[in-house]
Amino acid sequence: MMGRWLSQIGLVIRLEMRKTFFSRRGIWVYLLALAPVLIFLGHSLSEINNRKERQALNAAHPVSTAALRSIERGSTIEEVVEKVGEPFAKNGFRRRDFIVDIYEYTDGENVFGFGFRNNRLENINERDRDTIAKDSLVFAGVFQFFFLRLAIFFGCVGVFTNLFRGEMLDKSLHFYLLTPIRREILTIGKYLAGLIATVVIFCTSTFLQLAALSLHFTGSEISEYLTGPGWGHVASYLGVTAAACLGYGSIFLIAGLLFKNPIIPAATVLVWEGMNNFLPAALKKVSVIFYLQSLSPVVAPPDANMPPLQKLLLTAAEPVAPVWAVLGLLTLTVVVVAIAARKARKLEINYSTD
Amino acid sequence: MNDRIILDNVSRFYGEVLGVNRVTLSVPPGITSLVGPNGSGKTTLMNLITGLVRPTRGSIQILGISPSDPEKLFRVCAYATQFDSFPRGMTGFQFVYSYLRLSGMSHDDCQRTTAFAIGRVNLGEAAHRKIAGYSKGMRQRIKLAQAIAHDPRVLVLDEPLNGLDPLVRAETIALFREFAAEGRHVIVSSHILHEVDTISDQVILLSNGYVVAEGKIHGVREEMSEHPMQVIIRCTRANVLASRVFEQDNVVEVRLHADGGGLLVKTRDADRFYRALNHLALDGVGIESVAPADDNVNSLYEYLIGGEESTR
Repeated sequence: MMGRWLSQIGLVIRLEMRKTFFSRRGIWVYLLALAPVLIFLGHSLSEINNRKERQALNAAHPVSTAALRSIERGSTIEEVVEKVGEPFAKNGFRRRDFIVDIYEYTDGENVFGFGFRNNRLENINERDRDTIAKDSLVFAGVFQFFFLRLAIFFGCVGVFTNLFRGEMLDKSLHFYLLTPIRREILTIGKYLAGLIATVVIFCTSTFLQLAALSLHFTGSEISEYLTGPGWGHVASYLGVTAAACLGYGSIFLIAGLLFKNPIIPAATVLVWEGMNNFLPAALKKVSVIFYLQSLSPVVAPPDANMPPLQKLLLTAAEPVAPVWAVLGLLTLTVVVVAIAARKARKLEINYSTD
Repeated sequence: MNDRIILDNVSRFYGEVLGVNRVTLSVPPGITSLVGPNGSGKTTLMNLITGLVRPTRGSIQILGISPSDPEKLFRVCAYATQFDSFPRGMTGFQFVYSYLRLSGMSHDDCQRTTAFAIGRVNLGEAAHRKIAGYSKGMRQRIKLAQAIAHDPRVLVLDEPLNGLDPLVRAETIALFREFAAEGRHVIVSSHILHEVDTISDQVILLSNGYVVAEGKIHGVREEMSEHPMQVIIRCTRANVLASRVFEQDNVVEVRLHADGGGLLVKTRDADRFYRALNHLALDGVGIESVAPADDNVNSLYEYLIGGEESTR
């Protein structure tokens, strides 16, 4: 019996895969997954371009990092030029009672801006090039705020609500219901098909985002990062992505069975997940984001200029140990899929009212 | 195992709207036609039998199996619905094969069985074309192929002859007969009454969610004593026969045909009339043919349900 059920689950997955991966309805899921990859790719390409420019400028105006860092406030323009040569860019403006001059230098990696007021150096602005440590914080922010809460969330809305509802709209669900397969088995098969599809799409996206982000670093920087926390971070991010698909997938599977319009449950869950930090401890556990935040390898630091509400949304509330987070998420998923299977058992075909 | 489809006091309401009400049936094997106007409950009855909807009240058994147990039911039962929709992007072969695989057949058996089922509905040449490009008749046939592929003992078909050309229609009816001759159930719904008349072993007449008559067509007709049976007789000396026939106490009306070559007789007791006719025709009346004029589904429909639909 179990063997037949497993074989039927496999067959349902095969049938669903084609629809999930290649349906026109699902194109926007790919776009959601691809968006952060493009953002990070753009960032890396721009960084590569900037570095090339800096190196070219440094070749034309050679100066060492040590020499630039030795410049002290209060120096005159002539003293600075004598020490480090002519800048690659000069800017300035004149007011009634003072003159401002800005001299820019580069050591090929970083850009130094010297601000003179009435020929006295007042400001030194060193714009360091991006480091992996800096970028990993940026990645954590994008991952937790955009990727988990929006891209995967709405991707799961698109894939999982369509598993049943899409076929009701197409008036083709009855073909499944007229085969010798238990509705519970059908539900599990469909859920796993959706899970495989979303895990493949979004884990690929996560991996590509990390790869795109690391494009502008040198080989030695990358291998140094990977021998340190790097592989752990990569594995954790992939794990959190899969966990997000697992949790949100179960919720939107049942939403597709219960609601005709997926926007209503999606909006409700979005609000519920958003207000997770305001909820009492017991209710926090009835959410997906609570466990995902606990599993994230890097905590995204709230930006100083971030609005207070957004800051609150991003802050993880009393994270639990990863093992409890995984168990909690699995329990939530199993309970929700079980309820969905029960609902599917009582499902009736009445397309005219669906 | 029980070989009947049994519905015991089954009702189904869609909120306030009645689907079917207090339906009690025991359907034997053979071709059974569900006849009734739109909204009479034919599709609801089929959906109830196959578990696509659940009864609000009452119980259903298909060869002893409950419709709420699809794992058992759809090993012996198949249903081709009226929905003209299919999973996207599939060819006819993939469509039949994919759902057949769920019944637990091996890949090779499934391939063979699919090819056989598609061959039975004469769709072999189009099997590997996308269903989206099929004509209405081809779509009907591929649905039928999918329904018969696993060799079911109960075949439920909602308007299966819609969209079929006369040749395919005849082939499809022959297929139903073949199934019925093997002791299986073929339950069809149809609006085309003369076809129902030709193919059915028994009929179930539905009106407004109620079963108004069920059984063999002739048996149902005989029980309708308020409507005298009509008999058409083609003969010589029709006026002589008319006067003799009118002397029978079971005869309520006699009409001479305009050409004088026959008459229409209305009788309350057809059996007695047929027996008497042998004697009445002895004396110089040459009878060419005797045929019942309203012993068919069309008349049943007209008498029991009425309305313009009976003429379709």
